Amino acid sequence: MSVASALTERAFADRRMSDWEELDAILRKASTTRLRKLSKHEILRLPPLYRNVCADLAASQAARYSAPLVDYLRGLAAAAHTLLYARGGSFGRLRDGTLRYGWFVAFPRTVRARWRAMALAAGLFFVPLAIGAVLTLRDPSFAFRIVPEAMLRPLTESYARGFADGRDAGESAMMASFYINNNIGIALRCFALGIFGGLGSVFYLVQNGISIGAIVGYVTSQGAGMNIVTFVVGHGSLELGAIVLAGGSGLSLGWSIISPGDRTRLASLQSAAREIIVIVFGAAVMLLMAAGLEGFWSASSVPRTIKLAVGAALFLLLSLYVVLAGRGKGSQRSKSNQKVAS
Amino acid sequence: MYLLLLLRAPLDTNVAVESPEHIVFDYRVAGPARRSFAHVIDLFLCYGAVTLLVLVIAFAFMGGRTPSMSMFAAKVGFSLVLLALFAAQWIYFAAWEAVLGRTPGKMLLSLRVVTTEGRPIGIKAAALRNLLRAADLLPTAYVVGVVCMAATTRFQRLGDLVAATMVVVPARATKATALALVPPAAPDELASLPDEISLDEDERSSIELFLRRRHALGRTREQELAAMIARPIGERVGFWHPDPARLLALVYDRAVNAGRTEAPSSRRWPAVVPEAR
Repeated sequence: MSVASALTERAFADRRMSDWEELDAILRKASTTRLRKLSKHEILRLPPLYRNVCADLAASQAARYSAPLVDYLRGLAAAAHTLLYARGGSFGRLRDGTLRYGWFVAFPRTVRARWRAMALAAGLFFVPLAIGAVLTLRDPSFAFRIVPEAMLRPLTESYARGFADGRDAGESAMMASFYINNNIGIALRCFALGIFGGLGSVFYLVQNGISIGAIVGYVTSQGAGMNIVTFVVGHGSLELGAIVLAGGSGLSLGWSIISPGDRTRLASLQSAAREIIVIVFGAAVMLLMAAGLEGFWSASSVPRTIKLAVGAALFLLLSLYVVLAGRGKGSQRSKSNQKVAS
Repeated sequence: MYLLLLLRAPLDTNVAVESPEHIVFDYRVAGPARRSFAHVIDLFLCYGAVTLLVLVIAFAFMGGRTPSMSMFAAKVGFSLVLLALFAAQWIYFAAWEAVLGRTPGKMLLSLRVVTTEGRPIGIKAAALRNLLRAADLLPTAYVVGVVCMAATTRFQRLGDLVAATMVVVPARATKATALALVPPAAPDELASLPDEISLDEDERSSIELFLRRRHALGRTREQELAAMIARPIGERVGFWHPDPARLLALVYDRAVNAGRTEAPSSRRWPAVVPEAR
């Protein structure tokens, strides 16, 4: 490649320096004050200046100018690139109400699209739960192998006391926060550890299933069975459903590595994760609602029949939502979204 | 040509990213040490805030007028602490990175999270890479994460792999200072220096690197290094000088600054030493 006709570096720099400095000033302003603080003029200048710097960078590489000049231009171009090529954009989020779309369309759809993983997760959760309950009903001491006795006894006593006294507001708030911290933490971990081929999710699902089964079985064997059902029925569908969804997402994540189809394992993992995260967001919101119910409603002194009715209604609503929401309209949009995502 | 550049990529921690304008940028990827410092700072900030909250609540608890009021304050306070702990563990990192692409700890160590294509990350990527923290910190002290970083070219932990992100040090080079010949070429040097010298890319860049570094070397080492290539280059261009480092400087100056249009002669441009940047 002949460079005989190229400018000297000094002349090149002198000629182009004003553009570079203008771009540099805009970038520095944007990095300290965010993009929206830029003036209209500066925003209009940004794309042409960026294109010019790209051209200058290419020219200076071809002419083999010295490394500092090339580095300077590369840094300038990289910083402008970061500013210009933001993903999706915060503007789109405001315009489309993506939050509503995510909750009423994307979440139920993604759950249905991955129903096999969800069904498997439900099996991995509810079968150990049933086993735990049955074994404990046969022999109550079985529960102590799963859950420490020191924890089971006070728990049973509190259920045996019933809910006639209710809970005061402070205790309700405390318990709700405890459930948020504990249950959402478990659900998120249950998803995240699915990265190890789904094994982490299997562990959390089975472990939580069998402990809940043991607790329910033990409390029932001590004669407070109706009370624990009354307690669980209100928030149960949301809470256990969310754990199953989080576990199913983890299984999906693991499966995307084990069976990547016609992509590389990494590409399959990344695109699956991008879809599945919607389910995890949804499960976290469900657990948030469940924690509120569990803290303020489930242990309140409301009569048993009302609690049972509300629990059944919630279960029905949740099932209908997962099965029916987001069908039909907007299918175009989800396709275009998927294209962007992949 | 870029393919060639990529194939010949040196063994360092830079990652090349190609823009839609077919410009290739280098990002310097942050290593485990720098990232763990940032993480420790973030942990201090998070749990410092939680501790502060506990103290404030403890004072409020003591200030209650009746025992039942204090109990109520204690319970509400405890629930706030639980929420704060939850936020510190699951929300703090994701929220900062979703909005600004960096947590306060990363800001202090000038780190930034970008996608592997070099773009800012969004909510989904921020949430994913921070949820997967739960897997990375297993079995203890991020062992899984560090092993994973060691095994990937971009120092990605599991969370980075899943979210297709990487942590970079977005360093901006300061304005270029051209290399100049100091002292300017003397007449007797110019007399024997050929009018046009062409160096190939490797020669040019290695001489340039040498000239920029030479005042950091000892005088003996400088001569020793220069002598290694001064003779073959001098023979090829037909120029000889008793001082090999000076020979390289003269040859470089002539190759870079002469023989091009608008070229100021090297005598009119003895401007600056390559300043420390």
